[in-house]
Amino acid sequence: MGPGLAGYIIRRLLWAIPVLFLISITVFAMLRLAPGSPIDAILGQRYTEEQAAVLRDKYGYDDPLPVQYVKYIGNLAQGDLGVSTRHRDFTASEIIWPKIWISTQLGLIALVIVFGLGIPVGVYAAMARGTFIDPLTIAFWLAIEAIPTFVLVTLTSWFFALKLGVIDLGYEGVWTPNMTVPVLVMSLPGVAGVARFMRASVIGVLGEDYIRTARAKGLKEQTIVLTHITRNALLPMITVIGLSLPGITTGSLFVEVGFGIPGIANESLQAVLAPDYDVILALVLFGATLFVLANVAIDILYGFIDPRVRVGAGRGQ
Amino acid sequence: MSNKMLTLMMGFVAFLILAVGVVFLIALAGGGDDDDGSPADGGGENNRSSTSGKICDGKSLIVPGDDPSSVLDPIQVADVSTAEYVVEIFGGLVTLDPDLKVQPDIAKEWTSSNGGKTYTFKLRDNVVFHSGTAKRVTANDFKYSIERAADPANASPTVLAYLGNIVGLKDRFQNKASSVTGVKVIDETTVQIDLVEPSDFFLSELTYPVAYVVDKEQIEGNARNWTQKPRGTGPFQLKEFKPAEKIVLAKNDRYHLGVAKLDEVVFELAGGSILTRYENNEIHIGGFPATQLDSIKSGQNPLSDDYREVPEMAVFYFTLNPQKAPFDDPKVRQAFAMSFDRQNINTVLLYDAYRVADGFMPPETPGYSESIKSYSYDPVKAKQLLQESRYAGKLPRIVLTYSGSGSAAPDLLVAIQKGWSDNLGVEIELQAVDSSAFLREQRKGQFQMQSDGWAADYPDPEDFLGKLFASDSSLNYARYKNDEVDALLRQARIETDRTKRFDLYRQAEQKIIDDATVIPTFWPVTHTLVKSCVKNLPSAALVIPKYRYVEIKDD
Repeated sequence: MGPGLAGYIIRRLLWAIPVLFLISITVFAMLRLAPGSPIDAILGQRYTEEQAAVLRDKYGYDDPLPVQYVKYIGNLAQGDLGVSTRHRDFTASEIIWPKIWISTQLGLIALVIVFGLGIPVGVYAAMARGTFIDPLTIAFWLAIEAIPTFVLVTLTSWFFALKLGVIDLGYEGVWTPNMTVPVLVMSLPGVAGVARFMRASVIGVLGEDYIRTARAKGLKEQTIVLTHITRNALLPMITVIGLSLPGITTGSLFVEVGFGIPGIANESLQAVLAPDYDVILALVLFGATLFVLANVAIDILYGFIDPRVRVGAGRGQ
Repeated sequence: MSNKMLTLMMGFVAFLILAVGVVFLIALAGGGDDDDGSPADGGGENNRSSTSGKICDGKSLIVPGDDPSSVLDPIQVADVSTAEYVVEIFGGLVTLDPDLKVQPDIAKEWTSSNGGKTYTFKLRDNVVFHSGTAKRVTANDFKYSIERAADPANASPTVLAYLGNIVGLKDRFQNKASSVTGVKVIDETTVQIDLVEPSDFFLSELTYPVAYVVDKEQIEGNARNWTQKPRGTGPFQLKEFKPAEKIVLAKNDRYHLGVAKLDEVVFELAGGSILTRYENNEIHIGGFPATQLDSIKSGQNPLSDDYREVPEMAVFYFTLNPQKAPFDDPKVRQAFAMSFDRQNINTVLLYDAYRVADGFMPPETPGYSESIKSYSYDPVKAKQLLQESRYAGKLPRIVLTYSGSGSAAPDLLVAIQKGWSDNLGVEIELQAVDSSAFLREQRKGQFQMQSDGWAADYPDPEDFLGKLFASDSSLNYARYKNDEVDALLRQARIETDRTKRFDLYRQAEQKIIDDATVIPTFWPVTHTLVKSCVKNLPSAALVIPKYRYVEIKDD
């Protein structure tokens, strides 16, 4: 971790700025040029030109587009994400952060389950290759993955709430028993992907010379599997985990709509339909920023796990 | 795999797989049962729900709600979703009871003089704003509230339509005056309102939120955020508002018309599977998909006992633009009106979800007359009319525009489109336009033909006919103009004898329908489920303050 790494991170982060600019300009223009506007949505059937003029003035839609954009960026630089026109009492920040937080917590729980289950399942299947256990395990998880989410939502709500009567479905907070089923629906279909990836990775590692060496040294099987096989096989998994991190903040649309969770996926859909200019823009920029950050973070993490890819190490390259 | 640790780990994974597998197998097997659709299965579920008292114990009513699409400010409300909350939180001089009759609210009595052009309201002296400040409502608050509504800077979307008859209000709205001269404070508990022309429906108009009283002190103290914690005078006050999540209304302990029996009403805004949650006893009021309407209505469904049909004071209709070919020829319009079978469509396609509209105004409207007749299904006559029209054999391309998103067109429109195709041999194109763009194009009168709807704001024929068809009304998007109808509507507007007035509207309505610029199709109905322990929930065709009557009681 020398100055080289810091420089690298700074360079990568600086590159993010033009990317975000481009995204914001594109989305900003697309929203403003699309048919329909928040003013039409607000006034509805009782629209009159006088009222529209007052509202346009209030939201600054009268200015030429470039002026509006510059003002927007100016406010953004001060941390002001604008106002919501769908929830007219609230600012965009008041709307998106609590909802992103709800989705993120659920997403994190689901992520832990997906990898917590997927990685051991993958190792298990790989170690059992050649027997019927391997294809059976993978096939089972694939079968779950194959069920469309909305079917799973209906099936599980019916089963757990009505048939068993063990839980309620209404949202009462993330850390309540009611969220068990939504979290399972979010996570279980993802296990297959992780398991298969892990299985392939483990099988790849099994053929490596150092595994044979370890066995020849007479190491315990436990040490070989945990230290040598799993640790090395986990390396490519870092990218997968890293890339799925931004995803957890966006929530799962089917799950949120299906279970009535006031998360960000639900809100995004409504914002686009409204249209709610500032909320949409804030969400797009938030997503893009996370994506860029996740990519940088993955590159750095690689360095910790495998010294060969450590950037700016200056040795052994 | 001889190692203990490894075996343990593998065993744990195997156990997890097994556990999840078993649960899902049971779920799938159970799901299979359900697909057979055996009513006994559903019956079992419902028995559980009707005997379970978990939501029938407390004093908190839990209902699915919609996000308010406007702010909780009476003068900004123009939509049903926001009005639902505003009518519970705020109040005005008068209100509507569950039978949609005008009743005293903050005014305890009133007199009309000067040939129906002056109304004098005597206020109660015990009405206070929410939030413990116990600030009394006086005549000055009403003057402030109406002037605030008329202030052009506030751009109320409804003030002109509902209060435009008050002397000086238009001038204030157009910034030609600094106050509304027609609203006078006689003394602390007396307000006098002068009207430009006599009006029999003025009191009905006053039941609409734009005329409600607001707290000057609060608004001027917190101009930007007061609507997040508004102080009104209604039976409930806003306790919690989490956008897209929930709205909680708590009872107002000092409500002057009788304190609510409920402690609170929780509106859940996030959606989810309403029916499942209803069956699971999580909410008191629920809905269900249209496909179940048949079985629920016919009493075969375990939910049939909870079923309730609430008519809506609203109408669906088509507008045929009389300024665009081919609808500038009345014969073409009439032919279109006669060539789809509404009764059949309603029965076969819609599970009788609607009522076929024989006229424009639904039966709940005061002044409704059964004598109004819309064009009945007559394909032979329709074809003949089309032959006689100027456009016989040379119809231009016709596009029917509706508000909606891209995917498949609603079944209803497709069925009507088929009627026109089968009976007239005319192929209509269906065009979906995003709702806000739809409204914009509608205002410009751009559409050749469109699918429309109108819901009343107050119970009077004026709110249907005067608003939509008087040629000088800003809401006349159909660009309808018929001098005879104009004369009738003008006369009706100032007639103070109710019987005579309703008769004038009846004549106007029949002429409007005969002209076939609008083709009324259906009167909508809300189909809901209400738990049996919810007592006295009014089934009103309009948005009225209703939760103060409700009581939760198991029997």
